[in-house]
Amino acid sequence: MELLPQAIVDGILIGGIYITIAIGFSLAYGVMHIIDFAVGEWIMLGAFTGYYLNLWSHIDPMLLLPVVFIVFGVVGYLIQPLIHRVISGKKGNPVLMGLVFTFGLALVFRGSGLTVFGFYSHSIPAALARNSFFIESGNFFLTIPHIRFTGLFYAILITVILQYILKSTDFGRAVRALAQHRESAGLMGIDARRISSYVYGIYVGISAMTGVLIGCIFSITAQMGGEYTVMAFFVVVLAGMGYLAGVPWAAFLLGLVQSFFMIYFNPSYTLLAVFVILFTILLISPRGLFGKGV
Amino acid sequence: MKKAFLLVIALCLALGMTAGSHAEEARDYFKIGVITSLSGSLATGGNVTKRGYDLWADEVNKAGGIDIKGKKYPVKLFYGDAQSEPSQGASAAERLATQEKVDVVLGPYSSGVTLAVAPVLEKYKIPMITGSAESPLIWREKFRYTFGTIPPVNYTGSTPIQTLAKLNPAPKSAIILGSNDAFSKATAEAFQDAATKAGIKVMKFNIVPSGQDLIPFLSSAKAMQPDLIAFGGHDEELINLVKGLRQINFTPKALLMHYGVTEPAFFESLKKDAEQVLGAAVWTESVHTKGELLWPNAKAYADAAMKAYGVPADYTQAGSSAAGIAFQVALMKAGATPPLSEAARESIIKILEDLKVETFYGTIDFANEGQFYHANIGLTPLTIQVQDGKIAVVGPETEAQAKIQYPMKPWQERK
Amino acid sequence: MTTAHRKPFIAGIAVLVLAALPTFIHDTFFLRVLTESIMWIGLAIAWDVLAGYTGYLNFGHGAFFGAGAYITAFLIKFAGVPFLLAMPAGGLAAALLALVSGIPTLRLKGAYFAIATWAMARALQQLALVLDITGGPDGMRLPPYLHPQFFYYVMLILVAGTFALMWYLLEHAPFGLKVKAIREDEAGAMSLGIHPTVIKMQAYLLSTVPAGLIGGVYAYWITYIDPASVLGDLVTDQAVVMAVFGGLGTLIGPIIGAIIIYFFKTLFWAYLSDYQVLYLIILGILIAMSVVFLPNGLYGTLTGRTSGKTAIEKGLAIEAKAKSKEVAHG
Repeated sequence: MELLPQAIVDGILIGGIYITIAIGFSLAYGVMHIIDFAVGEWIMLGAFTGYYLNLWSHIDPMLLLPVVFIVFGVVGYLIQPLIHRVISGKKGNPVLMGLVFTFGLALVFRGSGLTVFGFYSHSIPAALARNSFFIESGNFFLTIPHIRFTGLFYAILITVILQYILKSTDFGRAVRALAQHRESAGLMGIDARRISSYVYGIYVGISAMTGVLIGCIFSITAQMGGEYTVMAFFVVVLAGMGYLAGVPWAAFLLGLVQSFFMIYFNPSYTLLAVFVILFTILLISPRGLFGKGV
Repeated sequence: MKKAFLLVIALCLALGMTAGSHAEEARDYFKIGVITSLSGSLATGGNVTKRGYDLWADEVNKAGGIDIKGKKYPVKLFYGDAQSEPSQGASAAERLATQEKVDVVLGPYSSGVTLAVAPVLEKYKIPMITGSAESPLIWREKFRYTFGTIPPVNYTGSTPIQTLAKLNPAPKSAIILGSNDAFSKATAEAFQDAATKAGIKVMKFNIVPSGQDLIPFLSSAKAMQPDLIAFGGHDEELINLVKGLRQINFTPKALLMHYGVTEPAFFESLKKDAEQVLGAAVWTESVHTKGELLWPNAKAYADAAMKAYGVPADYTQAGSSAAGIAFQVALMKAGATPPLSEAARESIIKILEDLKVETFYGTIDFANEGQFYHANIGLTPLTIQVQDGKIAVVGPETEAQAKIQYPMKPWQERK
Repeated sequence: MTTAHRKPFIAGIAVLVLAALPTFIHDTFFLRVLTESIMWIGLAIAWDVLAGYTGYLNFGHGAFFGAGAYITAFLIKFAGVPFLLAMPAGGLAAALLALVSGIPTLRLKGAYFAIATWAMARALQQLALVLDITGGPDGMRLPPYLHPQFFYYVMLILVAGTFALMWYLLEHAPFGLKVKAIREDEAGAMSLGIHPTVIKMQAYLLSTVPAGLIGGVYAYWITYIDPASVLGDLVTDQAVVMAVFGGLGTLIGPIIGAIIIYFFKTLFWAYLSDYQVLYLIILGILIAMSVVFLPNGLYGTLTGRTSGKTAIEKGLAIEAKAKSKEVAHG
């Protein structure tokens, strides 16, 4: 049983990575009701941007995070009106329009990524990926890789900051108003378009930063997007769609299941367990873990 | 509505009518079909095989073509993209066989696609040599018309383990894992088999889901302190494994993988951390081979490949070019001119079975029976190791060009 | 001829023409292409039954295809069952899977149903990967029976029959009205004496059993199946794109969508394979643009049918909630 602490820690660290993938996605959904099928591709693009920036400038990718956030935040901010035009209007329904449009966008990004970046894998070298914290005490020892710890820290930081913004700032209040009453928010003097643009920009920025982090922990390819979109989707639905506070719990749960399965049972069954558990939870609690999904 | 329907139907008919009309005129060039995955999840590997096939075709055509009884016949490649899907591979095979009426086929990158393509080519009696597809599955099916220049992993996988077992002191314990795909699983099983036979205790053997975060597994591996960690996997999975080991700061005495350690992406992504990783290969640019045709030795091929593509050639690319050479030799021996008749193709099969030819890649000698049926058993599997950013051959003794570095230098000491 | 009978008449003619084709087209590759396009037509309309007509987005559609493929493969390979019996057994397997999974999942709304079915599909894929009897990642190879005409006819009869059945049930019989009532207003439907649970399950079966049968044909036709090719996301993704592009809530829409997208893909693949990555980009642009200009799908826009819109509203269960919030807050 000496592996128990390590199993728990590993699970939480994996959960941290899931949070980074899902949190922006949950925000975008909650506010704009867009199921952005391109989330994985934003992550991929952020990862490659981080890779090339690091290659040219030799600046550590962790320090490049704010740069990537700003660049992609701007991109997201500028793209949002296009998405808005697509999803609003008399014909069609916002969620469907958003979903299909972003699916198309994902394909375009993926194809462009393959064309520009080719088929090869890359990794982003980070100073923090070179070592770990090591705690030893008699029979029990714990290894915590620096980079994953950073990932967890980053995940919690982002979540806390987002929650703070949403609950305690004017901007956040406007965002929540928009999320709940799209039409009447306008009557209160809230510029829906502007707010949506900011939110989308924040979401894209976060996703891109996540890409950089993933490039440091794992490796990246132009085709990596698909799997991350699936992960984001699963975590967010498990958390309850649009329920930001549920994301960490869903993420940690999935991370712990993965970790325990790999350590204590036959690792081949890890993903089977994850999907069965996900399926079962949804059946028992149809609107996410806490029943607070939209 | 009616018009739309009629239009669609008319379109189908038009396509069908025109598409099928390829008369079988005499030609003065060979039509070589290439079925491989140029897109989809296997695109990286598929493109490696394409480079190998293209390089062969270009080199042959530079000399004017294949020499059949004094006359030279150039080769033209006709591509069919399997898109990493068995059904599309089968469709490509059907198209190349019935519409393009190719003479022979150069085959796919993965076993899944090969398993769907082979029956189609059996039906049309078109010989295929694949430059990749190392899973034992294919050869067990004993397709008469399919050959492979790379032996399967259950032929090559034991060599690195044997090299390690001969060391003094040899590794005593091992943890072996493989990703859950046909090739990787077979690789892990081959490693396990060889380790057990060599007296290395296999503490843990697991097949893990593809592409997953393996840190929890590695954590439990670290707790057991094995001398050797052996992993069957692909591309990114190899990189992720090494990065994972680095992250948890565990350096085993030896780390063994298979294909993939020779890929430029491996060194580029891991840099110093790639050093001393062991792999298995059937060819490197430093092996001492003598080629009867085209490239006189391994180095000549490697230089030509670098010049053409700017990317170092690995053994899959080499094996693919060698597949072309095998066909070339067989066609010359058969004295067959294009278009190949069924009888001619039948004779090619017999010639391939009896073939033994020296190439830049090594000896090509296809087995005629047993579990390696129609795979190339003329090669000597090699143990390779990353040393100073290059691939060095460290085993078996007869082929070794460098000394194996064991145990591995701990991550933290690598600057 | 009345309007109500015109469409089936045209469809009948189309089927007869298609049935006659192999007598004067001997190009086996072309037959293969046609067989595959008919397969996708079948998969697309099957998905639309649940998505467009009933308003439930089944992202696990491919799992039924895969289940049918595997069961058919087992029976042929290990029990020596002839194909023409094994394939219906594949459909039966899909039906059983539908019954078992439908009872719990059809209670879910919108995106939760979509993800639950997606999770189920992925779980099934993992199961196929870890079990020995399925061959694990090695997949299963079937004794080859390579007769393009045979498979062409089997696929044609299967899909034409499916289409006819769906046409009758959804456009002619009361079932169609009940199903659409559920899509428009599930709660309200109950007050009309419609039992949503039963109807939804029937629609679910109508959607998944054809997918299972088609999967069974696929297995014997391609002679090799593995978890990646028959239990992956590809089948679902393509069927969804074809149905949405063509126009949901109709039977003709997915047919048109399937034909256009399939032929586009095939032509690209056969003649432009050097530019495969471009295919992704062009397809992506096509899809994105279709949202802007053809929000009800190609067929929907051409004929002005807007059932697609309501289907997805229901399928994603959002508008209803937003509306009720508005109502609550006056």
